[in-house]
Amino acid sequence: MHSRRWRRPLRLAPLGLPLLAIAFLILCPLAITLAVSLFEKKGFWIRPALSFEAYRLFFDGVRLEVLERSFWVASSSTALMLLIAYPIAYLVTYRLRPELTRGVLFLFAVPFLVSYIVRTFAWADLLSRTGFINRLLIASGLVRQPVDWLLYSDFAVYLGLVTAHMPFMIFPIWLALSAIDRRLLEASWVLGERPSATFWRVTLPLSLPGLFAAAIFGFVGSFGEVAVSRILGGTGYQLLGNAIGSALDVLNYPLAAAVSTIATGLMLALLLLWYRLFDVRLFLGKIMGRA
Amino acid sequence: MTGAAVLRRRVAGALLWLFLGLVLLFLYGPLLPPAIHSFEGTSGAGPLRNYMLIFEDARLLRALRVSAIVGALVALIAPVLALLAAEAARIWRPRLVIGILLIPLFVPGVSMGLATALLFQILGLKPSLLTITAVQVLWALPFAFLVILTALSGFDQVYLEAAYMAGAGRLRAFFEVELPQIRQGILGAALFSLILSFNETIRTTVVQGGYNTVQTFLWSQYQQIGLSPPLFALMTLMIAVTLALLALLALLDWRRRHAG
Amino acid sequence: MQIQVARRRIADAGAAGDNQDRGPARPKLGETVMQKTRALSLSRRHLLAGGAALGVGAGLAGGRGLIAPARAAGRTLTIADVGVGDPGGDWSRFEKPTGNQVNLVSIGNAPSAVLNQLIAGGGRSAFDVINIVGGMQKPLVDNDLILELDRGQLPNWQGNSYIERYLAPRTPGFQFIGYQDKIYGVPTVLQGDSFAYLPDETGQLDSYGALFDPKFKGFVALEDNYTTAGQKTALFLKHSGQAQITDPADMTPAEVKTVVDFLVARKQAGQFRLMWSSFEQAVNLITSKEVHVIDCWEPMVFAAKAKGHDAVYAAPKEGYLLWAMGAYVVNNPDQSEADRKATYQLLNFMLGPWYGAKITLLRGYMTNPKAPEYAKAHPDEFSPQEAARIAEITAGVQKKFEQGGTWQNRWPTHVDVYEEEWQRFKSA
Repeated sequence: MHSRRWRRPLRLAPLGLPLLAIAFLILCPLAITLAVSLFEKKGFWIRPALSFEAYRLFFDGVRLEVLERSFWVASSSTALMLLIAYPIAYLVTYRLRPELTRGVLFLFAVPFLVSYIVRTFAWADLLSRTGFINRLLIASGLVRQPVDWLLYSDFAVYLGLVTAHMPFMIFPIWLALSAIDRRLLEASWVLGERPSATFWRVTLPLSLPGLFAAAIFGFVGSFGEVAVSRILGGTGYQLLGNAIGSALDVLNYPLAAAVSTIATGLMLALLLLWYRLFDVRLFLGKIMGRA
Repeated sequence: MTGAAVLRRRVAGALLWLFLGLVLLFLYGPLLPPAIHSFEGTSGAGPLRNYMLIFEDARLLRALRVSAIVGALVALIAPVLALLAAEAARIWRPRLVIGILLIPLFVPGVSMGLATALLFQILGLKPSLLTITAVQVLWALPFAFLVILTALSGFDQVYLEAAYMAGAGRLRAFFEVELPQIRQGILGAALFSLILSFNETIRTTVVQGGYNTVQTFLWSQYQQIGLSPPLFALMTLMIAVTLALLALLALLDWRRRHAG
Repeated sequence: MQIQVARRRIADAGAAGDNQDRGPARPKLGETVMQKTRALSLSRRHLLAGGAALGVGAGLAGGRGLIAPARAAGRTLTIADVGVGDPGGDWSRFEKPTGNQVNLVSIGNAPSAVLNQLIAGGGRSAFDVINIVGGMQKPLVDNDLILELDRGQLPNWQGNSYIERYLAPRTPGFQFIGYQDKIYGVPTVLQGDSFAYLPDETGQLDSYGALFDPKFKGFVALEDNYTTAGQKTALFLKHSGQAQITDPADMTPAEVKTVVDFLVARKQAGQFRLMWSSFEQAVNLITSKEVHVIDCWEPMVFAAKAKGHDAVYAAPKEGYLLWAMGAYVVNNPDQSEADRKATYQLLNFMLGPWYGAKITLLRGYMTNPKAPEYAKAHPDEFSPQEAARIAEITAGVQKKFEQGGTWQNRWPTHVDVYEEEWQRFKSA
């Protein structure tokens, strides 16, 4: 059966050609970015060269802190988002009537019809000193003066990040959870495990593919964030995307490319780590006989 | 179960529901200010004046058309490509394929946009709907890919083997056995791609040439001259229409279930 | 492993009673696979194929016709504009007499946005005119992106007293339309910036020092832009004698560092609530009273006043930050002779009285000298109140130019240092 497939190379073309085209369109820009980062800045454009000037400028300057901060914010916000998205996905999978599933999932997607930039600005509106939330707090007597740290603070940035990216994460987790064979869960109960143990030892491990996909979505979203930091961050809350934009504003393409290359490199390193810890083949379908 | 355990379970359930409600509140909360703004400046002309004005703004309508066409294209192309890539990953070097497909996720948006634009220039492609679509497909592809992979992870190849044993060829086995089971994943990938395409701003601004999508239009307006109430009206209208559609779908579902 | 084994056993036993009432339909092994899914397969295949064909076909072939303005008898000109130059979408007074059409595309104003569009994004062949805040000629000319102006084709240029008065060669204003003694840009808008404040909260203010006054700690906002906020700070520091700055418009690296040191100190003392970066945001800050003193542009005050809030645009004793918008001819390799001619017609129109009056009315900026008289002389196009408003705005801006201040420099000699130091300020 399998050998019949291999004797027909024509069969592979429909898969191979698109893949080649995709790879080309993805890898070329990456190569261009890497190349530009090694070029020299000449006037307002660049000159092909092999120079690490851009990298030196990056590591010597304040941008390194920006990188560290971006990394920290992305990791912590991703963890927070997972803690929110997972229970929701769990609820939708196991406690919701089946007819409602599609509707509820769509409900989470609907807010994206409004540009997330507009929604972020709306948060600035709601959290401001004379905004809805402050007015509510004052009217209910909980505070006497408007709360300043609601806006232009870490709190606001995390809130913005979570509402912008968390809904993306619900779907992969739900997919993974709903694909778990119920009979496995029942088998676990039959074998005497309590519900919480069933969750930790059966449900969670089997939902790992979805969990990792969700983590990637969240991390990548936060790491490359540009708008939330500008709108909700306050006095120059700088994340990586802002630093790149700023370098571009002075047409320092090599520097911008260098920052991008470093960011990409970091994330690829994380990806490799994921590969080590996680059997990617689990993504490709349940294969008989493997644990 | 003991009474205490039942109570614990009920409380846990109630808490989960409360949690869900709270999250939805946080997600929909930011939609209120635009809705409120959409009724501004209408003294004397009726509250729905701004909604009428949407249709009088030629630039906005043009941008809407661009967004709609590009969005539809992306929602069609990205899942198909992602599916092809996922199937390819099964046969040949999964880690490499997955790695390549995921790269656009890891490159910051503005650099990816610029580098892709440079690539198009080198290839001689002028900015057009094609370039906008291409850039957005490349952005949506990793997401669609991951969603489809997750769907595939729940699919047991046993069924494919059963199909082959029953005499089906590869293609037929795919369409009649695998596809129905990963259908949800593909639809989800399509929806994701549509949403991502609609929200995409930074990459598109670089390759759009003589066109504006709704997002790039809004972005430019926001920065330089502020948003006018009709734009807020547009956003509120889109939300309202979608929610209405959802309600309609739910109603049809309910009728179908109780009729048959 | 245990679970897999258990599962195999249950499956092999052909457990009836499918407990899965959720998720996609799973064909039981006992059932023929084909029977279960045949009904669905045909329609789905057709749907996928048909949909794809439709989408691609419509998108690429028909889409262009649906969206791009149809090529009528005249030429279609594409103008990239940052939003200010749009006369409310109404180009009829240009299109009717000339038979040409105008397609306006919104772009951002940041140097990177503009240059990225033109250099990397293939914008050169997409645009005929680009209308941005001037001062960017150096990178644009050095990269061959714009063409020198042929003033012979612009009748409205002669007699435009603003150009002679404010933008003459060898004066700082020339930077906004010219480079190396050649003229590139058509000045479509002229303006002087200072800052805005809420008189009910702060009383009367007349100096940039208010932005740094500890009295207003936590209620001040700056623009996130080193050529506006940074330059205004330099102007203030120079006037108040707190720093030795020769020319706020073109500072040396040491001077930039001094300015940023000052700003960092104020920031760490909690002076600034935030740095804003978009029009909408700034207007919100004023109307919601989130801040009381804000470094911003005058149209924001107009917008706030229109919403009924009492805001004042200050007349600081140190002077104003002066700037102009320039419309440039893009070095478009695809332009034909007819296109070029049509482009100059458009530029001439933008120097004309109707366009000037409209823009002044819509945006609150000063445009060209003939605008106020035109508005007054054409009550069918501009109501008396509108004409009075236009005259008022123009007079106001002229006063600012009389007082002077410093011309904004969008591309200082040491712009790299500016950027680096500004990053330091933001990360502090």
